[in-house]
Amino acid sequence: MATQEPVPESESAGELDRRRFLAGGTTVAMAGGLAVAYGTCGAMGGRFLYPARPAARRWQFLARVDALADGQAMTWKAPTGDPIVIARRGTSGEAEDFVALSSTCPHLGCQVHWEGHRNRFFCPCHNGVFDPAGVATAGPPAQAGQALMRFPLRRVGPLLFIEVTLESLGSEA
Amino acid sequence: MSLGAWFKERVPIDPGQLREMTNEPVPNHIKAWWWCLGGTPAYLFVVQIVTGILLAFYYEASPVTAYESVRYITDEAAFGWFLRGLHKWGATLMIAAVVLHQMRVYFTGAYRRPRELNWMIGMVLLVCTLMIGFTGYSLVYEQLSFWGATVGANIADSVPVVGGFSKELLLGGETYNDRTLSRFFMLHAAVLPGIMILLLIVHVTLIRLHGVTEFEFEKKKGAATDAEKPRFFNFFPDHAMTELIVGLVLMILLATLATALPATMGPKADPLITPEVIKPEWFFYVAFRWLKLMSATAAVLSMGFVFFLMFVWPFFDGWIRKRWPASEFSVWAGIFGVLAIVGLTVWEAAVAH
Repeated sequence: MATQEPVPESESAGELDRRRFLAGGTTVAMAGGLAVAYGTCGAMGGRFLYPARPAARRWQFLARVDALADGQAMTWKAPTGDPIVIARRGTSGEAEDFVALSSTCPHLGCQVHWEGHRNRFFCPCHNGVFDPAGVATAGPPAQAGQALMRFPLRRVGPLLFIEVTLESLGSEA
Repeated sequence: MSLGAWFKERVPIDPGQLREMTNEPVPNHIKAWWWCLGGTPAYLFVVQIVTGILLAFYYEASPVTAYESVRYITDEAAFGWFLRGLHKWGATLMIAAVVLHQMRVYFTGAYRRPRELNWMIGMVLLVCTLMIGFTGYSLVYEQLSFWGATVGANIADSVPVVGGFSKELLLGGETYNDRTLSRFFMLHAAVLPGIMILLLIVHVTLIRLHGVTEFEFEKKKGAATDAEKPRFFNFFPDHAMTELIVGLVLMILLATLATALPATMGPKADPLITPEVIKPEWFFYVAFRWLKLMSATAAVLSMGFVFFLMFVWPFFDGWIRKRWPASEFSVWAGIFGVLAIVGLTVWEAAVAH
């Protein structure tokens, strides 16, 4: 091989450039390969830590549409054990007549409870107050213009359906 | 071959060299007790690691088993009540010690150039300490643990843009679920302590490289007195002995607290009922009160801004001192900050809602 021979003066500069280029290129390629490999592992780790699927939801049968008259309310127990208050405010016979209020505070997720003597829902965590329709009237939820969450309702023929989560905590068992 | 020579051949370090490397001259003002506050959280951190490893032998991180395993530790395992008490009170004292240490550094200006980076590492350590307190409190799986974790995760949710993502990452789902507790346990017992150990090594190394801040106290006594008295004393044995005494006092204090006010257990977590009176641990009172005063997003953003300001304070303070060299702004800002934190904490402690 020619590289074993002493390089003539005129060629040495070009040869050195080429060597430096090759050495630099190899280093960059190796470092890049490592970065890509570790980056892929990191991305896989991150994806592994992120929850695999959203919480399972399903449309559940709730009641017959004519089970509640206008102005009436009932409590329905969800599959997870949550009591859900269903109220009817209308006579159109559509799902819009009904309201299914969640007892989960829209502020930071605590459970509100009904205070009959004050005609309001109260959240003990940060003093959120809601009127009977679920609209926030005081506290941080009112400042953010929030209301108690409502479960989606759907009417199929004479039957009323509600969309709820199915998963419950281990403590239920 | 003597045992000493045998050992030296295998560990080729000269004890003299080792002594020289570690025996840093310590400025005289360190003899005052409040300058031991940096060593205090480090000592308590070791207590937490030891007691934490012991507790982890029995703890089971799942909603079905967690509460029962903590009850077993508390009521049945030999000395379990004592170790749990040490761990609980160690956490309380550690947070208090970290806050006191930070106040000492702040009000003596020890964060100033060239020690800005160490202040910032300290701020990350503070955040880690608060997070490790939060996740640890959640592990007991009593009512307040559960609702504290729920509120904490939803606070993360209130952060614009990245909120939903970080909440799901923290809880392992959209809400608190069967896989949540094991995440908290891994954060509490592996991830956060690991980060803290690495940061502590850098923190202490930077202190040793820079040396402890020296003070130019007002020269009432004149230059002659300065020359008479040595300005430094030895780390070994003088300062090591001081730290030893601090460690002993802390152990007595911890043991007394763990015995006189043992760690108790509230009712088991119930995802359907939020207790009528709900409070986080005392060190989150300030944030809990702040959250009651405005919408969640406003509260989260303002608290984030305060933390950011604290994080970059050395540079902000440097800029102010360059423009107004005689300014005492940082002292007044610090006094205001401490009063605000104490005020909000006392307010939250004084009322039920």
